[in-house]
Amino acid sequence: MNCLQFENALPDYLEGARTAEQQAHVESCSVCSSLLADLNLISSQAFSLRELEEPSPRVWNSLEIQLRQEGLIRQPLRRPTLHSLIFGWRMAWLVPAAAALVIVAGIKLYQPAGVGDNQPVAKQVAPPVTPAQPATSAEDRDIMKSVASRPPAQVAAYRNDLEQANAFIRDAQEAVRNNPNDVFSQQMLINAYEQKQMIFRLAVDQSDDGQ
Amino acid sequence: MTDAKRPHSSKLSEAEAIERAKQGDAEAFEFLYNLHKRRVYSLCLRMTGNVASAEDLTQEAFLQLFRKIGTFRGESAFSTWLHRMAVNVVLMQLRKKGLPVVPIEETTEGEEEGTVRKEPGAPDERLAGSIDRLQIQRAVDELPPGYRTIFVLHDVQGYEHNEIAELVGCSIGNSKSQLHKARIKLRELLRINRTEKAGRR
Repeated sequence: MNCLQFENALPDYLEGARTAEQQAHVESCSVCSSLLADLNLISSQAFSLRELEEPSPRVWNSLEIQLRQEGLIRQPLRRPTLHSLIFGWRMAWLVPAAAALVIVAGIKLYQPAGVGDNQPVAKQVAPPVTPAQPATSAEDRDIMKSVASRPPAQVAAYRNDLEQANAFIRDAQEAVRNNPNDVFSQQMLINAYEQKQMIFRLAVDQSDDGQ
Repeated sequence: MTDAKRPHSSKLSEAEAIERAKQGDAEAFEFLYNLHKRRVYSLCLRMTGNVASAEDLTQEAFLQLFRKIGTFRGESAFSTWLHRMAVNVVLMQLRKKGLPVVPIEETTEGEEEGTVRKEPGAPDERLAGSIDRLQIQRAVDELPPGYRTIFVLHDVQGYEHNEIAELVGCSIGNSKSQLHKARIKLRELLRINRTEKAGRR
């Protein structure tokens, strides 16, 4: 057996179909044994690529919105992603939550003008879905300031939770923009702010405990 | 095809999550998503080479699966069902874009020389022990799309040749020969990369 014959037989050889002649050739030929070793190494290392990366939070957020819109998720909306604590609303959070409700109400009451309608329609034009809540970055800064003295791993966890919460808010806002009459999207937006509020409350409560 | 090892949750098992998802439970859907997202996403990313496409296809694969979860009866592993769905979603996308899913079986012209050149006294340039995960990841990303599909399905994801043949629409023999060519090509790429790296030092 020569090297070309061995290489032609390699696909089946690697699947386990081996002859004594092929085996003898591998043992006596350094070039073919080197090739075989390399191919086995490549194949074994490939398995390490199986679960290498993780998709961004955007994927789940968009998927969840779609599932709710299609009615595949049917239970009342809750997002117990953090510890299940029952918080009273901090005054600061009544503003963005109220803003979200105003936006939702405004969108629901919006009546577009009909064709040929000469009367100015007494409509409530929906304000931009980017609501007049306190700037997200300012709230984020407050949260990160509250946890600044914690261990680095906790600080990183809060930062990660904030990023996910902000991504959730952005996705929910887009869902409301695209489907202003959809109840699930509206509820999702309120839920998204609730999640952010829970992070704030957790950060502040634990800061108070530490004093 | 073997299933990937799955983490055990003290709160929910996969079987419980599937039953609850059938009832519309949001937490159950999220549990199933988190359980399988890495493998599905890695599959999509390896086969498309593009992060945005991979995320869109991941979302689409889960969406198609969750739409049908009411019909899942447990005859096969849930993960098998999901990954098969993901592969089909990716292959459909590749076909839509006109990208080759699998190379056409080539004639033997030019292949008669083979890869192995017998050079008496030539140094033995094994890769063995000298490649890491990042190197092989980069080399896979450089493979032509058809070779990459077969390699990812077989060596990365663990599909058997008969399954690959059914998925991509080729013969079992074609699947085996293309896999072999993909590995040979990877070997070349890894050697080139290693030589380039050595030259920069």
